[in-house]
Amino acid sequence: MADLQLDAVTKVFTERDGNQITAVDDVSLTIEDGEFLVLVGPSGCGKSTTLRMVAGLESISAGQVRLGDTVVNDSKPKDRNIAMVFQSYALYPHMTVRENMAFGLQESTTMPDDEIEQTVASAADMLGIDDLLKRKPDDLSGGQQQRVALGRAIVRDPEVFLLDEPLSNLDAKLRAQMRTELKRLQNELDVATIYVTHDQTEAMTMADKIAILNDGELQQVGTPLECYHEPANLFVASFIGEPSMNFFDVTRDDSQLVHDHFRYDLSNETGDALAGAHAELVLGVRPEDIDLQSTANGAHTYATVVDVVEPMGNENNVYLTIGDEQTQTFVATVDGMHHVEAGETVYAHIPESAVHVFDRQSGHALRNRTVESTTIPETKL
Amino acid sequence: MDSLRNSLRRLNPLSETATEQSQGTQTQGSLAGRLRDSDFVESMPFWLPPTLLVLLFVYGAIAWNIAISFTGWSGLGQPEYTDLSLEMYRQLPADQDFRASLWNTILLLITFTGSSLVVGLGLALLVDRKIRFENAFRTIYLLPMALSFVVTAIFWSWMYASNGVINTTLNVFGLDLLAHNWIGNPQFKLAAVIVALIWQFSGYCMIVYLAGLRAIPDEHYEAARIDGASTLKLYWRVIIPQLRSSTIGAVVVLMVFALKAFDFIYVMFGTNPGRSVDILAVTMYREAFSSSQWAYGAAIAVVLFALALTIIGPYAYTQYKRGAL
Repeated sequence: MADLQLDAVTKVFTERDGNQITAVDDVSLTIEDGEFLVLVGPSGCGKSTTLRMVAGLESISAGQVRLGDTVVNDSKPKDRNIAMVFQSYALYPHMTVRENMAFGLQESTTMPDDEIEQTVASAADMLGIDDLLKRKPDDLSGGQQQRVALGRAIVRDPEVFLLDEPLSNLDAKLRAQMRTELKRLQNELDVATIYVTHDQTEAMTMADKIAILNDGELQQVGTPLECYHEPANLFVASFIGEPSMNFFDVTRDDSQLVHDHFRYDLSNETGDALAGAHAELVLGVRPEDIDLQSTANGAHTYATVVDVVEPMGNENNVYLTIGDEQTQTFVATVDGMHHVEAGETVYAHIPESAVHVFDRQSGHALRNRTVESTTIPETKL
Repeated sequence: MDSLRNSLRRLNPLSETATEQSQGTQTQGSLAGRLRDSDFVESMPFWLPPTLLVLLFVYGAIAWNIAISFTGWSGLGQPEYTDLSLEMYRQLPADQDFRASLWNTILLLITFTGSSLVVGLGLALLVDRKIRFENAFRTIYLLPMALSFVVTAIFWSWMYASNGVINTTLNVFGLDLLAHNWIGNPQFKLAAVIVALIWQFSGYCMIVYLAGLRAIPDEHYEAARIDGASTLKLYWRVIIPQLRSSTIGAVVVLMVFALKAFDFIYVMFGTNPGRSVDILAVTMYREAFSSSQWAYGAAIAVVLFALALTIIGPYAYTQYKRGAL
C-alpha cells in the first residue's frame, strides 16, 4: 500500500490540424494511502483526463505519476495495480456477473480457480450481490450493475481505486444511497481512491479531500469544509455550494464597498485585509448567511423586494432584487417555516462575519468569512 | 375476419390503438358500416395487391413445384396430377450426380461461409483500429459485393485461365510447379469457385462485423486492459464473443446465398460443370431445363428448399421469440 502522487502532470492533445489543446495543466496532487480524493469540476475541465492518465489509458505529456516510489508514467494499465470503475460500468455483456468479476483476476494473476471463486464470492457478499452471480448484466438494474462494477474493482485488491462518475447513471434517490454506501465501503477497504465527478454534492459528502479543476488547472485542494468556507478564488466559491454564493461587483471606497444599489461598511479588520488590493472587488455571501428581517435595523441591512420563492420544504430559496431597476438579483436561503411572499419588501441582513471579498481581476480571495475553529477540523494536509 | 384482424393487430400495435379510437367514436352501425369504417378494410388497397402477388408468385410457385415433384412429368407433355407418387424422391439417393452435387453444396456451404467470416472478421478488426483512409479501405473491400456475379465470374475465369494472371504471377516468381489449370482440373474447380466467392463476400462480412464492433463501447477495451488482458485475450474473450449476433446474421445470409450460388458456376462452367463442382442449384436447372426431366428437377428443388428452411428456420424462430421479427 502506498501513496499516489501526481507531480506537475500535464496533458496536451494535438488536433489533426496541428492545434494543441492543453487538457490538464501542471496538476500536482498527493493521495495518501486510504484517502478519498474527489476530483471535481465542470464538464471538460480535464478531470476525467487526469484520471485516465493515472489509469494508464492516456499517455502523460509532462510530469510524473508515482505510486509509492515508482514512477508509473510508462507502465501499462495492468502493471499499475489499479482498478477502475467506469461511468457506463463497462460490464462485459456476454459474461455472467461471476465471470465479469473473475475476469481481471484470471487475466492479471496466477491465482488458482478456487481461490478466484472465493475472492469473487466474498466481494459479492460484501456488496450484497451474491444472489446475482449467475445473471447477465442485461438482466440487472442500474444499481445492481453499479455494484457489479464495484465488485469487479474490489476483487483485484488494488493499491488505487479510480472511479469515473460512477453514480451519474443512477436516479437521484439511489445515487444518495450509493453515496453513503461507497463512502462506507472505501473506509472499510482503506484504499487510496480518486473519484471524479461534476456533482459538487458528491464531492462535499464523500471526500476526505476535494481537488477542484477548471480549464485543466487545479483551483484548490482541501477538505470539503475548507473549500466551502475558505474558497481560494471566485471559481471555487461559485462551484461549491448549492445554491451558489451570491456575488456583487463592488468598488472599494475607503472603508466602504460601493455597489450600484448599496454601500457596505467595512470594519477596520476587514479593511486591513483588503489593504493594498485593487479597488475593483467582488463581494460574496452564501445564501444561508443572509437573514431576512421585516424591519430595517442595524448595519448591513438593505431593503429588497422578493421576486420568486422556491419552497424546498425544509427551507425556502428566496430570490431577491435590490435597487429600483431590479437588475441585481440574489438568493437567500431561509427556514422552511419562514413565510415569504413574492412582491413583499423585506430587509436583507448581510453579516460582515460571513462576507467573502475577491479581487475582480484575478479572482483570488482576499478575505474569507470568519470561521469558528471547531467548524473546520484539523486537516491532514 | 376477426382472427385476421387480431393477427394484424399483433403485427402492428399502433393500429390497435387507432382501431380502438375509431371504434370508440362510432355508434352501433350495420355490419357493412362497421366494415367500411374499420382500419383493416380501409388499409386494404395498400397491402392487398402486394400480398396477393407474393402469395401467387412465391408461395403459389413453391406449392406448384412441390406438386410437380410428385408427378412423373418429363419431356414435352403436360404433368399428370392424377397419379402422384414419391418416385422421384426414391430415385434421388441412387443418383451419383445428385449425391455429388449434394456433397459439393454442403462443402461449399461450410467452407465458403466459414472462410468468409474469418476473412471478414480479420478485415473488420484491422479496419476498426482507427487506421488512416479507413473509408477508402471499407469501400475497396465492399466493392466486389456490388458487382454482378456474371461480371465477377468472367473476371475470375480469366484470372484462373492457364495463361491468366494467377499462373503468370506464379511463373514470374519461379513457382511454375504451383501453376495449375485451376478451372479445368477437377481437383481445383470447387476450390477455385470457393476462393472467388470468399473474395466477393468477405467485404460484406467485414461490414457486418464492423457494425458490430462499432456497437461495442470503448470502455470495454479499456476495462479489459485495466483488467490485465493481453490484446489477444482482449479480442478473444471480450470483443469477439460480443459479435455473436453479427455472426449469426452473416451466417444466414452467406449460407442461403451459397445454396443458390447458381449464377457464378453457370457463368464459369455452363450447365454441365462436371461432378467436381456440380451443386444442387445447377443440377436442378440441368435436369429441368436441359434434360426436360421436370418432375425430377422439381424434386431436387424441394431438397434445396428444405435445406434453405433448415438454415433459416431456427434463425427466424429465435428472432421471433426475441421479438425481433
